[in-house]
This record gives sequence, C-alpha cells and structure tokens, in this order.
Amino acid sequence: MSAQGLSGPGLRLDRLPQRRRVNHLMEALAWLAAAIGVAILGVVVWSVASKGWSELNLDLLTKSPIQFSLTNAPQGLSNAFAGTLVIVGLATAMALPVGILVAVYLNEFAPPPIRTGVGLVIDVLAGVPAIVVGIFVFVLLVVGHGQSAIKGAFALAILMLPFVARTTMEVLALVPNALREASLGLGVPHWRTTLSIVLPRAAGGIVTGTVLAVARVAGETAPLLFTSSIVGTQTSWNPTHALQTIPVAIFELSESPDPKDHARAWAAGFILLLFILFASLTARWLATRSARKIAGR
Amino acid sequence: MSAADVTAPPTRRPFTGRRVRFGDVALQVVAGAAALGATVLVGLIVWKLVDGSHLAISKYGLGFVTRVAWNPVIGHELYGAGSFLFGTVITSFLALLVATPIAIGIALFLTELAPRAIQAPVTALVETLAAVPSVLIGLWGILVLGPVLRTDIEPWLHSGLGWIPLFGPPSSAGASIFTAIVVLAIMILPIVSSISRELFLGVPPELKEGALALGTTRWETVRGVVFPYARGGVAAALILGLGRAMGEAIAVTQVIGGGVGIHWNIFGTGDTLGSKVAESYQGASTNLQSASLIYLGLVLLVLSLGANIAAQVIVRRVARRHGVTRGGHA
Amino acid sequence: MPKLGTSIRIISAVAAAALLSVVVAGTADAKAAHQATTLSGAGSTFVQPLVAQWISPIGAAYGIELQYSGIGSGGGVAAITSRTVDFGASDAPLTPDQFAACNGCEQIPWALGGTAIMYNLPGVKNLLHMDGPTLAKIFMGQITKWDDPAIAKLNKGVSLPSTAITIAHRSDNSGTTYNLTDYLSSVSPAWSSQLGRGVAVNWPVGVGGKGSSGVAGIVSSTPGAIGYADVAYSLANHLKYFSIKNRSGKFTTPGARGILSAATSDQKPAADNSLSIVNPPKKYANAYPISTFTYVIVPFQSGKATDLKHFLFWAVTKGQTGPYTAKLRFVPLPKSVLVVAEKAIAKIHS
Repeated sequence: MSAQGLSGPGLRLDRLPQRRRVNHLMEALAWLAAAIGVAILGVVVWSVASKGWSELNLDLLTKSPIQFSLTNAPQGLSNAFAGTLVIVGLATAMALPVGILVAVYLNEFAPPPIRTGVGLVIDVLAGVPAIVVGIFVFVLLVVGHGQSAIKGAFALAILMLPFVARTTMEVLALVPNALREASLGLGVPHWRTTLSIVLPRAAGGIVTGTVLAVARVAGETAPLLFTSSIVGTQTSWNPTHALQTIPVAIFELSESPDPKDHARAWAAGFILLLFILFASLTARWLATRSARKIAGR
Repeated sequence: MSAADVTAPPTRRPFTGRRVRFGDVALQVVAGAAALGATVLVGLIVWKLVDGSHLAISKYGLGFVTRVAWNPVIGHELYGAGSFLFGTVITSFLALLVATPIAIGIALFLTELAPRAIQAPVTALVETLAAVPSVLIGLWGILVLGPVLRTDIEPWLHSGLGWIPLFGPPSSAGASIFTAIVVLAIMILPIVSSISRELFLGVPPELKEGALALGTTRWETVRGVVFPYARGGVAAALILGLGRAMGEAIAVTQVIGGGVGIHWNIFGTGDTLGSKVAESYQGASTNLQSASLIYLGLVLLVLSLGANIAAQVIVRRVARRHGVTRGGHA
Repeated sequence: MPKLGTSIRIISAVAAAALLSVVVAGTADAKAAHQATTLSGAGSTFVQPLVAQWISPIGAAYGIELQYSGIGSGGGVAAITSRTVDFGASDAPLTPDQFAACNGCEQIPWALGGTAIMYNLPGVKNLLHMDGPTLAKIFMGQITKWDDPAIAKLNKGVSLPSTAITIAHRSDNSGTTYNLTDYLSSVSPAWSSQLGRGVAVNWPVGVGGKGSSGVAGIVSSTPGAIGYADVAYSLANHLKYFSIKNRSGKFTTPGARGILSAATSDQKPAADNSLSIVNPPKKYANAYPISTFTYVIVPFQSGKATDLKHFLFWAVTKGQTGPYTAKLRFVPLPKSVLVVAEKAIAKIHS
C-alpha cells in the first residue's frame, strides 16, 4: 500500500504555509459538510419524532380505522398493529431456520469454492430491491389465488434470509475450532457436535442477526403492497387472510387529504421507528455480549 | 483463545473408513437443501420475472428498454421503459452526487476532527436516520419537504441557476424529481457515511503515523494514506448506495408526481422504474400492461444486480488486498 | 454493560406486555363482533365513500363482514379477474376482452354519482363557471394560468389571480379518469384524437395522485390546482368545484338534481348492463355532464353466492336510501336500472 504524493518533493518545507492553508481549508470543508449533514439529518429526525410524539394517543392501538367516516368517531390503526405482529412474526419463523441451516451448511460442510460461491449469491440476494421481491411473490403465489398474511410473510422472509444467513455464518466461524475438534475427538457425531455444541455457542450472534433482520423488514412496504394490501378494517389475527400492516397503512394515509389521517400516520410511524431503533440497540448490545461469550471471556 | 484457533476453517474430514452416521447425512442433506434453495432463489426470481413479462418481451423485445412511451389507452397501447430508466438513472446518480461529499465529509469529521464529546451523538444521529423506514421518509417528503421545496427552494434555485436546463421553471406542486432526489440523498447518506467511517477507522494506524512522522498535514495524510487505502471500500459503499437509491420505490412514488417523458428540468414530475411499478401494478388493465410493468421490474432487477455484483467484487478484491479472508476471520 | 442490558430487558418486557395487552384489549370487542363470513371487494375509489357507509349496516343485518379496498377501478377488475376478491368495483364498464379474461363475470350498476372538477384558489368563490372545451384545453396544458382569457370569459365579474394551474390527475388506473376522459373526448375533438378515453391516458401535464383521495390531497395542498374525483371527496375535504356548462347551455353542479337529470338520458342498460350518461343531449336541461353509473363486477358462480346476493340486493335497495347517499351526493338508482340490476344479481349462483 503505497502512500501517494508523500514522497520528498510533495512535502517541501518551503511550501509549508501553503500546505497549512490547504489543510485548514479542507478541515473547514469537512466541518461544513458535517454541519450540513447533521443539520439535515437532525431536521428529518426531529420533525418525524416531534410530529409523531405529538399525535400519539391510545386510540391508535385500540380502535379500528373507519373508512370515509362522516362523523368524527374515534378511530385508530389496531388492525395494522396486529397484522404487523403476525406478518413479521411469521416471516421470522420462516427465515430463521432456513438462514441457520444455510449458514451451517456453508460453514460446517461446504468445500471452500461452494462457500464463496453461495456466499456471493446470498450477498447478491441481499441487494434485490424489495419491490422486485414483491413482484416475484405476487407472480409466484398471489395471481389466481389471492392475498394472505402468510404470502406477505414469505416475501419479508426472502428479504430477511441474507441477513440471518450472513450473520450466522460469521458467528459460526468465530466459534473456536478447538471446540469442534474436542467434541469430535470424544466421539460425538458431527451432526450432534454442530447442533448441541457449535450452534448454542453461536446463539447470541444468531439472535443478533435475527433482530437486525427484523428491524430491517418491520418497515418494508413494497412487498406487502402486492401480497397483503386488500384488507378489512376489523382487527384480525388470522394469517390466511390479508392483514393490514403499519407501513402499508402509513403509505395509504400519507396520500390522503385529511389532516387527521396524517396525524395517525405520524403517530404510527413514530411507534414503528421507536421499535426499529430499539431493535437495533438491542442487537448491538447482544452483539457485544455474545462476542465476549464466544471468545470465552 | 488465541487468534490462531480462529483463522483456519474447519477441516473437511472424508468419511471413508468411518461408519457414516444417519444424523450426519441427514443434517448435511437438510442444510444443503436450504443452501441450494437460497442459491436457486435468485435464479427463480429472475426466471419468474422473465416468465411474467414474456408477453411484453415477445412483443417489444429489447427496444422496450429505451422506448420513451407509456400509453395505456386501450386500442393504442404502447409501452416502454425509457422514460422510467431515465428517471431511475437521473434520480439515483444525482442523489449520490449530492449525498457523497456530505457523507464522506461526515465520516472524515467523525474519524479525524470531531472532539470525543460530539462523536457519539453524531454517530447516533446517522444511525437513527438509517433506521427510519422509507415510507416514513416519504410521508415526511410529502408533508414537510415538498411544500418547503415548492414555496422556497425551487424558485430560489431557478432564479439563481435557471440558465442550467436542470433548473427549469419550478413545479407548482410539491411533487417533483427534485423532491425525489433530496429524499433519496437523505436515505443513502447514512449508508455511505457509516461504511466510509468504518473504512477510515480501519486504516492501520502505523500507516497514518508514518505519514505524520514525515511531516504531512492532516489533510495530506487523509489524501495520501486514508483515501488510497479506503478507496476500494468507499467505491463499494458508493455503489451500494447507488443500488439502494435505484431500488427504492415507495418513498420515491410518494413524492415524484408520476410523469412520463424525458425532460431535463428536475423540478418537473417524473417516475422511476420502481415507483412506476409501485403505483400501477395493482390495477393493470390489460395483460400487456401487466407484462410491461413486470418488464420494468426486470430492468430494475438487472440494474440492481449489476450494481450489487460490482460492489461485491470490489469488496472481495479489497479484502484480499488487505490480507483479510472472507467469513469474519482477521 | 450490565446496566444497559438490564434496562433493555426491562424495557422490552414492559413494552411487549403493554403493546400486546392494549392491542388484544382493543380487539376484544372487535372479536366479539367478529362476523361469520367475510366478503372482500376492491376497486373504484369513486364509489368507496358509499360502500364504506354500508359496512356496519350489512354487518348488523346479515352478519357479513364487508371489506373494501379502494385500489382504483383497474385494480378492481384485475382483482376479480384473478379471483383475489369476492367482488370488484369499476366505474368504467368492462371491455369485451376484460369480460373474456374474467371468465364468467357480469357487471351490475349499483350506484350513480358525479365527478366534480375540484380546484384550490384561495380568495376566489366556489362554483366558478367552466365549460367542456376550456376544461379540455386546461387538462391538455394549453391553458396554464388562472387569469387566462378563456376562463375569465366564463366568469365575468370575478377577479382571477395569475396563479399557475397545476393539474392533479390519477396515477393509477381509474374509472373516474374514464368518466372524465369520456366527457372530454365528447366535447373536444382535439382531446379525442390526441388522448382518447380510458382508465389511464398519456397525461401531457400534471402531477399524479394515487386514488381519489390522492388527487384530493394534491388539490387541497396546492394553491392553483385543479383535479377530479367523485364529488363526495370535495365535500369531505371542503374543496371548491366548478359548475360545468352542459349541452343546453346551463351551468350545473354535481348534486342530486344534475346527476338525476343526466341519468334520465340513458334509462336502458345495454346487453352487458352498461350505461353512458356523459354529456347528455340538450333536452336534458339540468343535467350535470360528468355523471356516471358505477358497477360491481361479480362472477356468475361463487362460493359465497348467498352472502353476495344478500349484500348486493341490500346495496341496490336500502343502500341507495337517504341516510347513506344524500350526504355524499350519490343518487338512488332509477327504477329501470334497478330492475335490471336485481335480475342480474339473481343470476349469481353457487
């Protein structure tokens, strides 16, 4: 790694005042860029947080929405909260075992060329846009058969899979080899070693990856537009029906002319944001904790 | 536990001469099936999209990709991706152009200049923004950003820079390509910034100290040591950010205004591949229109895959050059 | 970091318990009222305000939980064609190709309303005058400012600002678009040849909104905007709308009288049950020229035939009465249309 431009003639002492000036200019620009960036980010986060906070009320969670209400009866988004819990829960149930199995195969069984190859494919899968996944699941499962929460969960599971698989792989690789060899040396079968010794040791990291994946998909709208958007206003926990979700509800409310709809959208969005932030924070805490555990400290 | 235990991958043990246990085979088969399924998934996605759009592919061929037309009137139907491809390219690249200097500036600021006390809150702010779902940013774009752009920023830009065709007459509604660019820039800022920051932090201190010992100023160190070292990673981060911007459909469809046609005025309305699909797919009135919309999705998929694969290749090449093997060992 | 860990544990436990209990408590009474059958429908946002009023009475009368999603008429046709829903709703009648694709469906007129041309012009009165050719020019982008002579001529004595006109149109496939473009095609040869009529056209200018409420949203937030949607949306959002010059020269509004008068211009549904009442001839002196029937699309054969028939019979009779329609400016179906509708509903079988 050669340092460029740092050979003799570039560092002339007689040019020091000039070089210092350039340095100050660059530092000022960096401060400026940071200030602009922080200002923009701050404005966005502040406006989302303050609008959301001011519109929070309990009705949001306990009342169903009323379409085109002519009275001012209280309404909320209870169907969306229930639906989100069901769909994200189902998606996690689908993605977690498959992700772990993929990581187990790649890390414990696969020869290196397959590991790099499939690893590349998994990383590529992570880059497929959510809307394309939505079209895919629509064409595969919904056309001719109808929407349902399960199909929506399947679409979200596809988005979660690369995260779970990748983090599980990295965490499995961190489990010390000596552990595996000791177990095999004692006569424990390979499969038993993997399931009872390696996986539990990596459990913290696996949970971290899952929580991160959940944070990622909790706010996804596009795949659900195609798979679970023709919904009723009553709260339902039935996964064979299409269920309303918070992101889709926010999407629909955002284009409405009614300021009361906007208020509910901000409030629901605020709760969603808090949930995602909380999940990310938890994941980070779990990561530090499990890294310590795996290394044996 | 020493580092040496962690470097080598588990050795592959041939099972000859040993009794093959059912459990081993079972686990390998099941796990292998999962891996196979995951691999096949990408191919399946491509195939299903090709299959779903074959009506449009057979009717329009590759000319669809560049044709600027979208006439859904029955009897005069004519579809093409050109207008939306233009929209995707112009919004993503301009968003990247806007976001990159700020993102790298923030990353440099955090790694080189910021006092300890400011580092944590600023980092937290960047990560918080990364956590905001796109639909919420779209909501903000419609209700907060759009009106501000329409009443203040766009007329100001037009009066100052109106001689550049990009900054034509300001839009009268808040929805425009410009709003979409700002929204996308805000969305990719955290990604590029976080990755750049990690890269800058990962520059071996000996390299920087060596440069400083030679008497360089801090900027010269950054220019001569940090940037070249992190160059590949930052390139990958930019491409990832670009891919993210190209694939974003929801926030864009909320703020872009739904127009067809190629025009350079970014204050006009437009549409991208993703946002067009998001807004029209549910109600496609003919099979040809559905197939054309899926064709749009296919074009988008090809673009994103291209960007993603390019980023992955760069990342792996950089990792190899820095002596890091993939899989978390290092 | 034991402190962080403990706080995270506590927060997640409390939050989860709170969230779950609140949602479950909130759904407890919904569950109590949870209906035996669900009828799901999707489509026209034009008729959505009316269908929304039917949800609770249908539940009370028959124990049917009615679900309706306003995704646009095009979406409704697509949804019922792929049997994603039990019924679809469209303001634009089905084409022969769509009938074929739907494979054994019929369309039944089930509501009658008018498309208002709404505008946002602070400080200017409601019910400005407008006529067909001028409206066509506005939507084609040939008239760009409110103080254009063509508009001023229709509104002598009104002081119009020089604000730019922003067009708000539908970005999704819309029966309301069909209604408007049908009207514009019949009053403007230029529109007819360049743009035609359809659930979506190649709009030369303007901003797209999703659904009728999306268009209403753009109009209500953009001074100088003009958009189109069922009149119920203008009323709900306190938006002004034009009174349009009909063929007899009178300026009419999308109210009960104007819509009913337009409806008398076509009393006999065609073989496929469609009716066209756009721009009626001048003997219908009070007609509002942008009125339309709207249709429910059902398969002849359905697993939920009994419930569908209960719902639809109720919809075309009790559902047309004052408490549901008056405030939204829907007009009860004329007798001749009602007879045809009921005959069509009776054809649904399991």
